[in-house]
Amino acid sequence: MMYCIINDGGDTGYCIVEQLVQLNHEVILIDRKDQLPDSLLKMKSNRFSFYSFDFYQTHLIESELKNILLPTEKLNGFVYAAGIGGVRPLALTTTTFVSEMMNANLYAFLEFARLLSKKTRLETGGSIVAISSVSSIKGLKSKIAYSASKAALDAAIRGMATELAERKIRVNSIRKGWVEADLKHDFIQDNIALSTQDDHARQLLGTIGTADLAKLVCFLLSDDSKFISGTNVLLDGAYTIS
Amino acid sequence: MGKFENKYILITGASKGIGFTLAENLDNLGAKLILHASTDAGMNKLTDSFANKGHLLFKADFSDPLSLEEAWQSQINQDIKLDGFVNCVGLRSRRPLTLLKPAHVMQILHANVASFIEMCRLICRKNGFNPGLSIITISSIAAHSGGPGVTAYAASKAATEAAVRCLAKELFKKEIRVNSLVCGQVNTSAYADLMETKSDATDTILERQYLGLGSTQNITNILLFLLGGESCFITGSAIPADGGYLS
Ligand SMILES: NC(=O)c1ccc[n+]([C@@H]2O[C@H](COP(=O)([O-])OP(=O)(O)OC[C@H]3O[C@@H](n4cnc5c(N)ncnc54)[C@H](OP(=O)(O)O)[C@@H]3O)[C@@H](O)[C@H]2O)c1
Repeated sequence: MMYCIINDGGDTGYCIVEQLVQLNHEVILIDRKDQLPDSLLKMKSNRFSFYSFDFYQTHLIESELKNILLPTEKLNGFVYAAGIGGVRPLALTTTTFVSEMMNANLYAFLEFARLLSKKTRLETGGSIVAISSVSSIKGLKSKIAYSASKAALDAAIRGMATELAERKIRVNSIRKGWVEADLKHDFIQDNIALSTQDDHARQLLGTIGTADLAKLVCFLLSDDSKFISGTNVLLDGAYTIS
Repeated sequence: MGKFENKYILITGASKGIGFTLAENLDNLGAKLILHASTDAGMNKLTDSFANKGHLLFKADFSDPLSLEEAWQSQINQDIKLDGFVNCVGLRSRRPLTLLKPAHVMQILHANVASFIEMCRLICRKNGFNPGLSIITISSIAAHSGGPGVTAYAASKAATEAAVRCLAKELFKKEIRVNSLVCGQVNTSAYADLMETKSDATDTILERQYLGLGSTQNITNILLFLLGGESCFITGSAIPADGGYLS
């Protein structure tokens, strides 16, 4: 099987690549960061290729994909693991800030989906996975734009799933809670400082491991999940119910 | 005395459909209105319908959220303190994924989400509102159930509902409530236009919306409740007004 992972320097994306290569799949990583982490540099596999460009400039995606994929190459699925975070109170939630968030978390994903879901690009029975967040359904103070972008992503998935079902293509998102990989990023550090301790305590099972998130992605890409479509799978350590 | 006597209420998208019926109702109930439309035709209709009623008019294009601050400050007396804001602007979109280019997605998200957030930002400033301000935005069942081709519209409505949850948690300290109303099919001119473009005249949504097609008055009744003090314990919610569709 051949999969494409779209990533913005996040450990989750790298971890998905590692697991897919271990499962003997062919993997194309498209990352906004042009440096690979040690774990992937060390990986000796001719089944892994790496490209970098700034896909948050959505007008570049169409032409870049033509360089990355051969005209005859067809994917079995792709994962959108890119996106940005950020907290701001309403008074500072300017249109520019909202647009940046929507651009990274929705527009870029939809543009990849538009191009990669074409009949010539995605096999029958393929699978599309996007990483969303519990913020999509739970309001947190000062996460107005972030929550809006993730809820938009989750709703877009439902629209796409109904449309692509006739080609047996499945589309899902994962609403993740606090994941280990995110804690390294500065923007999430800021989020944590701003949200209350209580919020973290509410994730009853503790911080989610990056590998555990990647495993769920691999499951949703595989045929083992062939009747799961149009859903927003919760991976939140019981945050939502507590 | 009307129930909303001397209350200042802003209705965006007031020239048609739900917004227009709400404006007529609030006018009868004694409210002082700020009525918004985006086109000359919309503004003319508002002027003709509410001549000599002393309401204020506000013209702005929600496709361009960056223009709203200037439009709001130049057209509306900044001493007015709002008691209610109902956002009825909503751009429709129906396109298969292959035609869903970023420019189109952005236009829908700008008009339906970014402009709503921007209007909230502008009116929730110090001295811009009275305690008890109630904000309501019209969402859609599309935010909750998928349909082919409605990807961008559904995304915009779900985004708005998510923003509402965050806004409620931030603004309650200022005694502001924020809710969304999740509408099913409502009999408006936009709905009639939509049905005209369909190849067959049956609306499959109505098969699941077992109370039948909603009227703008049905929706207005719920909006009046959410605007008034009787609903003072409801905030951060997405309330279905869907004739049973989501059940
Ligand atoms: N009708 C339904 O079945 C239904 C179902 C679910 C949800 N909704 C939602 O309910 C809300 C109201 O819908 P409706 O059918 O009653 O009315 P509508 O026909 O959609 O019109 C609403 C208003 O939007 C304004 N508008 C249009 N484009 C605009 C723009 N670019 N910038 C600013 N304003 C603009 C119009 O003013 P101008 O004429 O001056 O442009 C009009 O006053 C929308 O959010 C819609 O999505 C409706």
